[in-house]
Amino acid sequence: MAVCIAVIAKENYPLYIRSIPTENELKFHYTVHTSLDVVDEKISAMGKALVDQRELYLGLLYPTEDYKVYGYVTNSKVKFVMVVDSSNTALRDNEIRSMFRKLHNSYTDIMCNPFYNPGDRIHSRAFDTMVNSMMMQVC
Amino acid sequence: SRELFVLTYGALVAQLCKEYEKDEDVNACLDRMGYSIGTRLIDDFLARSAVKKCRSYSETADMIAQVAFKMYLGITPSVSCSSATGNEFSLILDKNPLVDFVEELPAERASLSYCNLLCGVIRGALEMVHLAAEVTFLQDRLKGDAVTEIGITFLRKPEDRKHRRN
Repeated sequence: MAVCIAVIAKENYPLYIRSIPTENELKFHYTVHTSLDVVDEKISAMGKALVDQRELYLGLLYPTEDYKVYGYVTNSKVKFVMVVDSSNTALRDNEIRSMFRKLHNSYTDIMCNPFYNPGDRIHSRAFDTMVNSMMMQVC
Repeated sequence: SRELFVLTYGALVAQLCKEYEKDEDVNACLDRMGYSIGTRLIDDFLARSAVKKCRSYSETADMIAQVAFKMYLGITPSVSCSSATGNEFSLILDKNPLVDFVEELPAERASLSYCNLLCGVIRGALEMVHLAAEVTFLQDRLKGDAVTEIGITFLRKPEDRKHRRN
């Protein structure tokens, strides 16, 4: 399943980043960072089009030999980036979409917490549990 | 509009936390605000529910739990009497809509009573019907306890109407 999940703020700094094989963390951070360019390109290509559910999900950003990177952007320009293992070919598009939807729902729950200031790093246990469940599904 | 209310309450508590350093100050402020709300809310409650006069403390506690909480928050806490003298009661809330979005208290606010407003409301409302009471939180789910429990201690007997007509 997902090997790395990141939540990036509007100003392009990470609010939350988590990867499964913890040795290669830097490599995943770098991948997420480079994928932001592709995200920005897709957003600007959409232009002033209607923003509906389909266009929140950006789809496959770019594939490499080891893994694929998927993106999703919210109306408030908060981006979710997911890196999945390429060897896992059973993953279908709707599964990725539903994972992003779950991420988005958990993110809105965090926003509703009165003690959370938008722009802070995310330290929520519920969010961690949800991300863990998405990453551990293959084991 | 339940979400708007919960979010507003959350914003209120967060703002108080920014203004006051100590948790006790925030708790006291919430209690005062609740008291002010309670003294006004009681008339609305009595008008809308048209309940008869309560003859005993336990009836009053039941009324608060089953009618008032249901009317204003949509939940029905369970009442238990915790003293032999019959003037201490506790309301056990299994579901508290005010803390729907709050996962846990921030580390630096460990002794904050998030719903202290409710204590003030109950205290203010009871005082307007001439029942002095002390209301505090005995257990709080946000602080790690199993349930949220509000304790009501009635302080003195209600004044007997007959004796006042001299």
